[in-house]
Amino acid sequence: MPMGHTATAQAGSGGLTATEHRLANGLRVVLSEDHLTPVAAVCLWYDVGSRHEVKGRTGLAHLFEHLMFQGSGQVKGNGHFELVQGAGGSLNGTTSFERTNYFETMPAHQLELALWLEADRMGSLLTALDDESMENQRDVVKNERRQRYDNVPYGTAFEKLTALAYPDGHPYHHTPIGSMADLDAATLEDARAFFRTYYAPNNAVLSVVGDIDPEQTLAWVEKYFGSIPGHDGKPAPRDGGLPDVIGEQLREVVEEEVPARALMAAYRLPEDGTRACDAADLALTVLGGGESSRLYNRLVRRDRTAVAAGFGLLRLAGAPSLGWLDVKTSGDVEVPVIETAIDEELARFAEEGPTAEEMERAQAQLEREWLDRLGTVAGRADELCRFAVLFGDPQLALTAVQRVLDVTPEEVREVAKARLRPDNRAVLVYEPTEPTAAEAPADQDENEEAAR
Amino acid sequence: MTELATMDFHSQPPAGEAKPWAFPAPERGTLANGLTVLHCHRPGQQVVAVEIILDAPLDAEPAGLDGVATIMARAFSEGTDKHSAEEFAAELERCGATLDAHADHPGVRLSLEVPASRLAKGLGLLADALRAPAFADSEVERLVRNRLDEIPHELANPARRAAKELSKELFPAGTRMSRPRQGSAETVEKIDSAAVRAFYDRHVRPATATGVIVGDLTGVDLEALLGDTLGAWTGSAAEPRPVPPVTADDTGRVVIVDRPGAVQTQLLIGRIGADRHDRVWPAQVLGTYCLGGTLTSRLDRVLREEKGYTYGVRAFGQVLRSAPDGSGAAMLAISGSVDTPNTGPALDDLWKVLRTLAADGLTDAERDVAVQNLVGVAPLKFETAAAVAGTLADQVEQHLPDAFQATLYQQLAATGTVEATAAAVNAFPVDRLVTVLVGDAAQIKEPVEALGIGAVKVVSAE
Repeated sequence: MPMGHTATAQAGSGGLTATEHRLANGLRVVLSEDHLTPVAAVCLWYDVGSRHEVKGRTGLAHLFEHLMFQGSGQVKGNGHFELVQGAGGSLNGTTSFERTNYFETMPAHQLELALWLEADRMGSLLTALDDESMENQRDVVKNERRQRYDNVPYGTAFEKLTALAYPDGHPYHHTPIGSMADLDAATLEDARAFFRTYYAPNNAVLSVVGDIDPEQTLAWVEKYFGSIPGHDGKPAPRDGGLPDVIGEQLREVVEEEVPARALMAAYRLPEDGTRACDAADLALTVLGGGESSRLYNRLVRRDRTAVAAGFGLLRLAGAPSLGWLDVKTSGDVEVPVIETAIDEELARFAEEGPTAEEMERAQAQLEREWLDRLGTVAGRADELCRFAVLFGDPQLALTAVQRVLDVTPEEVREVAKARLRPDNRAVLVYEPTEPTAAEAPADQDENEEAAR
Repeated sequence: MTELATMDFHSQPPAGEAKPWAFPAPERGTLANGLTVLHCHRPGQQVVAVEIILDAPLDAEPAGLDGVATIMARAFSEGTDKHSAEEFAAELERCGATLDAHADHPGVRLSLEVPASRLAKGLGLLADALRAPAFADSEVERLVRNRLDEIPHELANPARRAAKELSKELFPAGTRMSRPRQGSAETVEKIDSAAVRAFYDRHVRPATATGVIVGDLTGVDLEALLGDTLGAWTGSAAEPRPVPPVTADDTGRVVIVDRPGAVQTQLLIGRIGADRHDRVWPAQVLGTYCLGGTLTSRLDRVLREEKGYTYGVRAFGQVLRSAPDGSGAAMLAISGSVDTPNTGPALDDLWKVLRTLAADGLTDAERDVAVQNLVGVAPLKFETAAAVAGTLADQVEQHLPDAFQATLYQQLAATGTVEATAAAVNAFPVDRLVTVLVGDAAQIKEPVEALGIGAVKVVSAE
């Protein structure tokens, strides 16, 4: 039977609360009421992502996510999409390194349908999964890869940098989209085994947020999900731990048909869920977030050597996070000019730390980003799942803003000094080549494409 | 081989009782300086959205200075009489705000988002930007260079490259609509601060502008706040500019923008059609959704879910520019990308879908699901202040009544299958579509010619 406890509103949570429950089969459930708008969000995080994939089967977690929309025991073909959209809802699923999520936002009176649908595929996907959907979605995903990565300038930068920043064999060495060769190699039996291993109620967290009656919602969850058997077949994920710093500067120069030179880099940063990670977030914001950051002011406004310059943070819980630098050069400016300026700015920041005003700005920006994320029922449902799956406590979602506001300038300086150094980064340099001649053989095999 | 499930199955649950929801009705007023203001209280929306609509359309740009509206829009956040460019950006970020501005055919739009707790500060900065922009020589020069640097990035992006070519192809040569919204290298390099200032002096004033403010306004004395901020902006009176009609040549034809070696072909198939002033709009929204609004619409059901040619193809109607007299138009288009070897077969299937639609029409079931979706998603779609403000601002920009969106939902619900079919077929007639393909001409030209969807020409991507 579901057991629950009610938390009180926390400082910085904007009065939001969440309750936690667990079904006998191990499914964790998080509920959060908000009656301002007659909508309800359902979010289901499975604790499986591309880090769980094995060599030769990259992209399987994401391909599998597509198969979750191809019907299940009581839902025919595209029924999942059809029923949700026909009820006035919206839905999707996404796959990252550390998790796969599925979500529906529904008019409040259609909540039960979304729960029924999610339960149906959690419990009976394999009764519907067949070769036809496998072959079809393999092609769809390969076209997704082409559209988002292979056919756009700098499209494979993320993949290349990730491969540099995490060593060969590391669970985060490859990205969720996977390689063309591995997508081709995946079999129906791989997909079945993947489902049997990872898609179980005790490997998932379900959150329901919005205009809901918690007691009724919990009764529906019990009714639809309660009989799905849990199992413990999931192997422990490979260890993603790495030393705090890389210890050398890794570097790859890409000569490709791109519109301008670019300098990108990935710095190894503290794991998500730590105070040091929040401090790193603030450091990156001061240095490269928005149009008043140090790098923007230096490269775009003053030196005028770059079109765009910024830092982003890829938060990861099971491996070091990545601090993500992206600079596109202006005109004929050469990459070393940019690199020297960046190193000067980073070194200066490591010595001085942020000014009081820079801290205020960075904290205000991150606070607003949190308000945005928690401002919709879907955003809140996703964050509750995130903290429940990655850190075991959904309540942490409601206090995340406060933790960012608690960080001191000295902590920001410390993490910058320790991590934002040339010997702790993987660098990717793009040097444009002339357009391919029209007569060049363009009939490339997809496998060669992937092997490049 | 299938597998037996071990769970208890239950039948599909029925819907509960729907709760009432309506698109919010804004309150409308005018400040002493002539600025029209719409506002709307949305409890719980802690990030307030402010939109400013300026009557400074692209066709007001002086000849040879395409892009000056864009540079002006960007220069609004590059300093005022109180702050330098760097200080202004810092002050905005200090209140956790973002300010975006862009120029398009109907006019220039500024969008501010700021936490409710810092609304006064954010609105003050926005008002300064409108009232007393610095337009410093050196900042405008930098924005111009920056814009010039952006152009090659846009040309290298298949979707943007396709959009540029379709405008050039569709609209009469010499009209502003046929040329890139943000200008070309030749026109942008001629822009300086004097040109930006002149454009501002001529076209920016409170009397022809509108502000939209949406969010949790609990405890906000809006009248006093507006008086201190946007109310301090002054300018002469002026009549709204007349809006020229939109015309286009939709003779069926194909343009291939050659990108040798491209692994996919970007498709953009379009023409112009009815905008929101036309009575057919609700039926056109419904019909277009049935054709290509989502993964379960007709196009993706074949191209994606049956054939796997694409990650997704969408049909849509996007207003280009509207006029009070109804002479405006929307771009009606189908877009997506398909793998290079399947370009011919994918287009063949796409045309088959259109022909089948024209021959057999939509089904009642399709129409019902589409209405349920389009009407049902409204409360989700307009959960945030930014979404509501954006729609209200679109209505102002398109010369529509404030109740347009609320009424649209009633009209959609009342639109039948026959009307939706007719609207979709009229929107996408098989012989009146201009097809732009950004892809490898050596591989796709021949199969596309064989389809008979119009004369095929190849142009260079550069």
